[in-house]
Amino acid sequence: MNLKPMVRMATLVRALSGAALVGAAAAAAAQSSVHEQLNAVIAKYAKVDEKSMTNPAVKAIFAKDGFAQELEAYPVGKLADGFVWKPGMGASFVGPFSKLPIKAPFTDYLPLPDGPVLDPKKTYRIGFVFHGFNHSWLVSLADTAAWEAARHPNVQIDVIDAQYDDNKMAQVIDTWVTKKYDGIVLWPMREAPMGPPVDRAIAAGIPVVSVDRRTSSDKVSSEVTGNFYANGVQQGLYLNQALKGQGSLVLTRKDLGSTADSIRAGGFLQVIGRSPGYKILGSYHVNSDRTLSFKTTADAMQAFKEVDAVYTAGGEEAMGALDAIREAKRLNSAPGGRKIVIVADDDSKEIMREIKAGTIDMVAPYTPLIGDLGVRAVIRHIGFKAGLVKEAPPKLILTPNLPMITKAKMTIEGVQTLTPDEWPYAFGPDKAAAAK
Amino acid sequence: METTLPTDRRVAGSAAAPGAPRQQRLSLDAVMGRVALLVLLVAAASALQPAFATAENARTVLLAVATVGVMALGMTLVLLAGELDLSIGGVAVISGVVGGMLLRSGSVALVVAGVLATGVVCGLVNGLLVTRLRVPSLIVTLGMLGVLRALANILSGGQAIYPEGIAGYLWFGRGAVLGVPVPVWVFSIAAAAAVVLTRHARFGRALYAVGGNATAAGLSGIRVDRVRLLVFAASGLAAALAGLLETARLAYIGPAGFTGIELSVIAVATLGGVSLAGGRGTIEGTLLAALIIGVVNNALNIAGVSSYVQQIVTAAVILVVVLPDSLQRREREA
Repeated sequence: MNLKPMVRMATLVRALSGAALVGAAAAAAAQSSVHEQLNAVIAKYAKVDEKSMTNPAVKAIFAKDGFAQELEAYPVGKLADGFVWKPGMGASFVGPFSKLPIKAPFTDYLPLPDGPVLDPKKTYRIGFVFHGFNHSWLVSLADTAAWEAARHPNVQIDVIDAQYDDNKMAQVIDTWVTKKYDGIVLWPMREAPMGPPVDRAIAAGIPVVSVDRRTSSDKVSSEVTGNFYANGVQQGLYLNQALKGQGSLVLTRKDLGSTADSIRAGGFLQVIGRSPGYKILGSYHVNSDRTLSFKTTADAMQAFKEVDAVYTAGGEEAMGALDAIREAKRLNSAPGGRKIVIVADDDSKEIMREIKAGTIDMVAPYTPLIGDLGVRAVIRHIGFKAGLVKEAPPKLILTPNLPMITKAKMTIEGVQTLTPDEWPYAFGPDKAAAAK
Repeated sequence: METTLPTDRRVAGSAAAPGAPRQQRLSLDAVMGRVALLVLLVAAASALQPAFATAENARTVLLAVATVGVMALGMTLVLLAGELDLSIGGVAVISGVVGGMLLRSGSVALVVAGVLATGVVCGLVNGLLVTRLRVPSLIVTLGMLGVLRALANILSGGQAIYPEGIAGYLWFGRGAVLGVPVPVWVFSIAAAAAVVLTRHARFGRALYAVGGNATAAGLSGIRVDRVRLLVFAASGLAAALAGLLETARLAYIGPAGFTGIELSVIAVATLGGVSLAGGRGTIEGTLLAALIIGVVNNALNIAGVSSYVQQIVTAAVILVVVLPDSLQRREREA
């Protein structure tokens, strides 16, 4: 009997099985994806502390603004229910408030099917309170929350703008407690003031979920948190790639003490902190104010004749800085006639245009399209409380880390960037369409 | 030395209208004091920061003060009349949003007319509520601030509008004539017009009279309510104009803009010697104050000083300048 074909067949089967296993592992690795890749990068740079920073200017800012403690406390970890997010996922719809086309990335995260939820005979009243019907990021947040509620005919949602008034937000929550709403979702501007009203709602048996920013309440049912750490780290990674550890930087930051500032700027400084070749020319707080960012950057352009890069902590900061640099005709004034590198956060359509035009070099997305996740989480909490759902959502619901967007595709420390055309989740009005 | 009208001159029907502007102007000493402070600040900043003393930086400073400066001119007129306008931020925003909605017409003239007309209308509404219903201007304009901001949100859907499609619009913020940026021209022309109005026109005399003593002004034949109506319209126009300059410079009309601007503008006017009680102050003082604050902010930014510390320094500058005026006035009145 000729065993060679059988051996060959067995070898082939083994090889194929091996290949299948490798393929599966690769697929699993690819599926463990951007979130896990960025978690690994974050873990690497999270070890950088003041002592290990060799750049004295970076070290000084890091120490003075107390970033270490904030970074340590910021949640980083796995996604709930083993969710794996891939670019392209999510539902498309028209925002009920903005009337703009939206593709929300996480509509498959903690999913709920269309139709009635929990007890179909009952109408569930959910309150969604936030600030800022005058800011596209915040309107988009409200859009996704309202969209999710509209998918379920027995869910009634009240969307209230507390107009940047913490007292008003507290009053709204207390009113809903009095009216015995079934669930509450909030976007708190500041942590501390929202602790007590959230505690009161929880004490009244009403589940409460916070989205994006956190409250000081440790009784809150769930917190849907963003990816500030991945934002800042990626800004640092891009800068290292672009400038190879050498250059003069201007920083335009958010409000001192805000989570966005601490984590983004902190993560950014951790990545560049071991490159002694960077010089920090100025560190300015422009507090999400486009005009202030404009004026401050205009003054910085007068102060510093050689600027290699500008770090901006958000969309408004970035656009203000870019416009000031353009007005001063300094876009290509970095040493050697190079372009000033501008790194940004917040994936508005306006910023995407500038990425395509090559004026802003990279943006780390921080999507507002997470209101739906908050509403689904609170519905699940309501169901769990009523014994209709087996398991409550976790206390901490991390949103997936998102890869940075660059004009040309590149891979930095194993993380592949996306181009603007590969990013359908940008929020806000489209500048080109608006100009028509 | 500043002199006030002796009380025996304040006679009803007197041909010499009470609170005549000559006596209520900022004293020459006070104006020269502000000029000296400005010169000192410029000299100090130039010595400490070489980057400060360049033509380009001067242009940056003038551009930075143009918006607040234009608004401060309008506020000065309102304060001189003994009133207050807290709605200017809301006026600037709603005017910009109305302009944004008119962008589709493709006509710069229509857009600009719409912006300015909105400002004037808002100002007239303020004025009518104050003069006809006799509601204090603090209350009226505070209420209007909220209403106008809400209206801006509703009309814009909370979304920004980009005026890039009309180059003519952007010219107001980014253009230049004879090398001088358009916002600086606008500020200069507005200031010149306001100086002529307050110093040389009959309206100016009436304005100071109303601010100094509205009852006596009315009794001497001045149409007090008309003066009030006109200053609110002027303030609305100034706010809309400032909104146009800034949105054109940023190429961005956002319903969340100009937050808190009213306090900065009042600070400029106060630093310029305008009395919150009315009847005292000058356009020239406001102009100098806008430049002083602009120079301070610019110099501190160049020095890398935090914006939080800048706020303290600016407040300290205001106190240092305004305190001697207040003490002098108190001594005279005593």
